[in-house]
Amino acid sequence: MLAAKQRNPRSYRIVGPQRQIDERETPHPRVDRGELGERLRSWRNTRAGQDPFRRIFGVGGGDPKNCLQLIMRQLPEGAVNPDRTAVSDPAGMARNIKEVARFLGADVVGITHLDQAYVYSHRARDKAAMGQKAGDPIHLPYRYAICMGFASDYYKFLTNNSRISDADYGLGNNHMIAPTFMLAAYIREMGYPARAHDYARGEVNPIPLAVNAGLGELGRHGMLIHEEYGSRIHLSVVTTDLPLAVDEPVDIGVTEVCKYCMKCARTCPSYSIPFGGKEVYNGVEKYRINVDTCYKYRLAGRGQWTNCVICVSSCCYNKPKAWWHTLAVWSIKRTPIPLRPLLIKPLLWIDDLFWGKRPWRHMKWLDYDNAPVPVTCDIPGCQVKHRDLQHKQLHRPTQAAGGSVS
Amino acid sequence: MTYVIVEPCIGVKDKGCIEVCPMDCIHGTDDDKMVYINPEDCIDCGGCIPACPVGAIFAEGEVPEKWQRFTQVNADYFNGKR
Repeated sequence: MLAAKQRNPRSYRIVGPQRQIDERETPHPRVDRGELGERLRSWRNTRAGQDPFRRIFGVGGGDPKNCLQLIMRQLPEGAVNPDRTAVSDPAGMARNIKEVARFLGADVVGITHLDQAYVYSHRARDKAAMGQKAGDPIHLPYRYAICMGFASDYYKFLTNNSRISDADYGLGNNHMIAPTFMLAAYIREMGYPARAHDYARGEVNPIPLAVNAGLGELGRHGMLIHEEYGSRIHLSVVTTDLPLAVDEPVDIGVTEVCKYCMKCARTCPSYSIPFGGKEVYNGVEKYRINVDTCYKYRLAGRGQWTNCVICVSSCCYNKPKAWWHTLAVWSIKRTPIPLRPLLIKPLLWIDDLFWGKRPWRHMKWLDYDNAPVPVTCDIPGCQVKHRDLQHKQLHRPTQAAGGSVS
Repeated sequence: MTYVIVEPCIGVKDKGCIEVCPMDCIHGTDDDKMVYINPEDCIDCGGCIPACPVGAIFAEGEVPEKWQRFTQVNADYFNGKR
């Protein structure tokens, strides 16, 4: 069994042996192989990139040399400096590394032990510069994982789903690449091995590592929830042997909030987020989303959007930086666990009242306008009334997803 | 896989399923006896099942024997329309 050295976080629980996941089993490689249907594979390679402003973020058929993340994917990583800097105080070095990470652009940073359960077993992509081929086993024998979070713009995400939220989502993926590369490079120059794992290249699942590093907790929608940024946060990791003090998982009340809130499950258009309780998958007890329906829902974009960020936007932890949000989360954290529902239920009522049951905002930006567009049916003669997403019903707990869970 | 609308929809056409389908893949005309799911667009989310008041929607692999032909009926409806 691959065991973590830290205490278990509250938002997920290890209940059995975990196997390492093969990166080729993750959604993008599966779609590229056509396992979720030829239509989706074709969409990902062509129609998803109809807009040139999508193609620079690596979506659909552009010139790879016009896309930063695809260029960075092919860059070699440098050598470890033979003149090693001695580290007598791992806690002091951890403070140094966190300060450097913030200086480079990270909004949040934490450190944890590198649990091999969250290292992919085999890689999904070639990387010629490092002599790596798809299918190669991954060997990542490092001790620590430095987890960084890069926050996205609250208001642009509220335009979900649109070319505006697409742009900000793509920018977040690209923002993390340079700081992650530079932090790994800094550590190598100090004489310690380090590997960058970001949107351009990654050999680890960043979410459980970020939970273990105290960046936040695991939400019902399967993503990290940070107390200030919610889930509008892109994660990257640097794995290294540089001696560092590690952080502990945090309790920001996600376990209780996700039990009662269910806003992501109510708003998820594709019923991919469960209303029910946690399930055990691969030795981990957690909420289990349907990644297949989540991914396939991208086909509903009709050329108006590519990435669905509705669950991110609807999460009640997703708020602009404001004292009342800080106060609400602080109050939950300070309340004894058995009493939390007494506080959370009125807070959720207030959340629905002021922020809406389906948080969304109209915005015009560049030439984009996310005003709802009437659905144009492409079936000749069809006379049923198709409603746009903003006028569809919200889901109820009795409406469970019917598809198979992945 | 896809979901399939079967016989109990005939004459009912509640259309509650249309309200909840994220892919807008359920279609029909006023003259049709029922509505139909386009198997090419269905993403297997199952959101339509609890919306149907007469229990007329099944996963393709779970259609009762007596309504098996409706899998083809749904698919045939879209022949020449795509």
